[in-house]
Amino acid sequence: MAPQDRLTTTTLTRHPLPAPGVAPTDGPHPAALLRVEGLSVAYGGDEVVSGVGFTVAAGASLALIGESGSGKSTIARALLRLLPAGVGRASGRVEFDGREVLGLPERHFRPLRGRTLGFVPQDPNSSLNPVRTIGMQAQEAARLVEGIDAGERTDLVLETFAQVGLTDPRRAYDAYPHELSGGMLQRVLIGLAVLPRPSLLVADEPTSALDVTIQKRILDLLSGLRESLGISLLLITHDLAIAAERAESLIVLKDGVVQEAGPTASVFARPTSAYARQLHADVPALNPDRYADLRAVGATRAADPSTPVKIEVRGVTKTFGTDGNRITAVNGVSFAVPAGTTHALVGESGSGKTTAIRLLLGLEQPDVGRIVVAGEELHGRSHASLRGVRRHLQLVYQNPFTSLDPTWRVERLVREPLDRFAIGDKRERSQLVRAALESVGLGEHLLSRKPSALSGGQRQRVAIARALVVRPDVIVLDEPTSALDVSVQADIVDVLLRLQAELGLTYVFVSHDLALVRQLAHTVSVMERGRIVEHGTVTQIFDDPQEQYTRTLLDSIPVGAGSAS
Amino acid sequence: MADRVGNRGYVTYALRRAAQAVVVILLAYVLTFVVISVLPGDPVTTTLRNPQSGFTEEQIARIVSYYGLDQPVLVQLWHSLSRFLTGDLGVSLRTNLPVSHLVAEVVPSTLVLAASALAIAVVLAFTIAFGVQYLPRPFGPALRAFPSLFLSVPTFLIGLLLIQLFSFQLGLFRVIDSDSGLATFFAALTLGIFVSAQIAEVLIANLDQEARQEYAGVARSRGLGQVQLLLRHLLKPSALPVVTVLALMVGEVLGGSVITEAIFGRAGVGSLVQRSVSTQDLPVLQAVVTLAAVVFVVVNLVADLVYPLLDPRVRLLAGQRRSTARPEPGVPEPGVAAR
Repeated sequence: MAPQDRLTTTTLTRHPLPAPGVAPTDGPHPAALLRVEGLSVAYGGDEVVSGVGFTVAAGASLALIGESGSGKSTIARALLRLLPAGVGRASGRVEFDGREVLGLPERHFRPLRGRTLGFVPQDPNSSLNPVRTIGMQAQEAARLVEGIDAGERTDLVLETFAQVGLTDPRRAYDAYPHELSGGMLQRVLIGLAVLPRPSLLVADEPTSALDVTIQKRILDLLSGLRESLGISLLLITHDLAIAAERAESLIVLKDGVVQEAGPTASVFARPTSAYARQLHADVPALNPDRYADLRAVGATRAADPSTPVKIEVRGVTKTFGTDGNRITAVNGVSFAVPAGTTHALVGESGSGKTTAIRLLLGLEQPDVGRIVVAGEELHGRSHASLRGVRRHLQLVYQNPFTSLDPTWRVERLVREPLDRFAIGDKRERSQLVRAALESVGLGEHLLSRKPSALSGGQRQRVAIARALVVRPDVIVLDEPTSALDVSVQADIVDVLLRLQAELGLTYVFVSHDLALVRQLAHTVSVMERGRIVEHGTVTQIFDDPQEQYTRTLLDSIPVGAGSAS
Repeated sequence: MADRVGNRGYVTYALRRAAQAVVVILLAYVLTFVVISVLPGDPVTTTLRNPQSGFTEEQIARIVSYYGLDQPVLVQLWHSLSRFLTGDLGVSLRTNLPVSHLVAEVVPSTLVLAASALAIAVVLAFTIAFGVQYLPRPFGPALRAFPSLFLSVPTFLIGLLLIQLFSFQLGLFRVIDSDSGLATFFAALTLGIFVSAQIAEVLIANLDQEARQEYAGVARSRGLGQVQLLLRHLLKPSALPVVTVLALMVGEVLGGSVITEAIFGRAGVGSLVQRSVSTQDLPVLQAVVTLAAVVFVVVNLVADLVYPLLDPRVRLLAGQRRSTARPEPGVPEPGVAAR
């Protein structure tokens, strides 16, 4: 990945670019490029955005912040007039370059898309046509540039790919989307958006589907292009730290209503609305010691050498694939977790975290090495006795939107493990289910709901209750908050830490988010390409990282400092 | 390097599929043989000893021993199968002519009918699907009802309606002259309307689904209009599954041709089957059923072989078709630079 990070500074002959770092010459942001007044959007009868107004000056950057359901993505779609046909209705006033565009007939508005209004979508993996090559789709953007022939268009695409940091533009041009990683696809999409030189770029959570280190590179790329090309940026995000780091002014949204707006420095440092203060408090990177009290219980256990070791992983190696194409997913990994503490496995996609926990759960057999959980050897035992160990070893999966059967009700979802392990009679099971739900802070009235009638946070609580109900000693948490908003994430972290303090649970916590690890974990293993490159207590890793890779991960955490100029 | 491995994967896949196809054809032959031999009724009695057939006892004995009808069923199967493998389909009990001769006589006519029916079905299905997407309000949505209407009206009714309207009323073609171009066209239309319904339903559903995909919105954000979006983006992913549906439809077309040929008075495989069933001409039946199996298997083999070439997401791993939507979690993502 490393060589792609440089922002390549190719000069285009037909489309001369100012050198990076050189601000546009028009002086400090003259007239408003985009002016939104009293924008309301309704889906059917439900108003999801109410009377929102803001302006973006030429060359300026503005961030819309809010949790899911706050209407921030809807605003982006309304500006581009890409609301679902026949369902979404926008009203109010949207002026672009002094011209009202909301009421414009589609055929007059369409020429604006791409040419003056660029769009960078949320999930790069689903934003390109899977059965057409990237080059064919890039040509669509190149066709928006007038006065160049086919050969020049291809050159322009390749130059743009180089400019957004794709090391081998020709390869990317010929590839199909599934052949590139998420980070590379997002570079492609940013390239396609900036290629026709729009005056405004709307980026809808451009990094929420990506790893932290890639997130930083993508945000750096966007900031760099904004400066070098003089493009205005409307950044949509749920992360206050990202917004503060990348935008000059902020708009905080909740339930489709603006809570607070103003220059980044004032909104970020001195939030006046209760909601903005809440958002600030929920960002892990800004509040590393938020849960210090709850975490202290485990920290004492971790520091005490007499605490028994709950999990021991020694010299475990796992290789996948056949002769021609072997991948060593986990390579000589060892770690030990004292009872009642949290051990974090940290690394990017492909670092082997997922394989490591699959081995720990007994879902894969290691080629070499041993895994001991609560004094019991995990591998080389019969299926039946493995089941006995598994009862004490539960998993909370990363995405509560896909991990719960949508046709089951909460009661059955939480009861299922009891049925599987044949624990208690009918009445006892019902009591255990209620107790588990209560311990994660969910009321009995949710018992008869289906997952679709629950929020993301409630779903993940159900998933935790499901793991808790069989009274396990160890819970493996596989990025349990990566699919959730920061505010919901804070809730889940609170529940997890409370449960650990009360029940003495041992957690193995898998994440790529080091800020969250700092709030939650006691010991950390940093993984890179299947190996553990650094290991230590949270304090050691965060205050005195030894490895370059660890430092890169730490540097990638957005902290909102040094807000954009 | 990567290409060579890819080609080897394709060859392995193709060989494996071809071998499976041969096995299926042989099984179809055996199954037909077993079904025919357990059917009630003795063809020797009904056909050969029929006074009208004019066979002498001596000839009957010769025919019986030629077919080995006096031997155990398993031995008969063995003989029949070995003759089939050498290309000998036997002799018709009814006409005393070689079966291959009878079949070769009717195949071209049915082939013309089936091919035109499929072509009409494809054109009709795409027209309906596009109309549903892009015709203005009352017309587009109204077209949605057509596929289920086509499916629920029996083929023979459509055929009779077409004959009534275009032959008797408008006099466009004469039913007697069943091999004329227009007569063939209307016969193919009868069959094609029914087949088009199922293709259109798949196509409409796929276009709806693809239009809702994230990438469609992103493509529109690059300034594409509805027509460009359809032609450049939605058409290919929506049409890919049609390849599979088309291959399955070949079975419907073969079955439907029996009825269509009867209505339009055409000589073809359908009419041959009809005659052979009513006269219990077992060697002909055996040959026609096997022929149908061969056509069906070969067409599906072709579809299987073509699909991986059309859909870049399908990768051939160890001779099997797999969809590689995303790399497995925990396995390093293959990067362009890494290759």
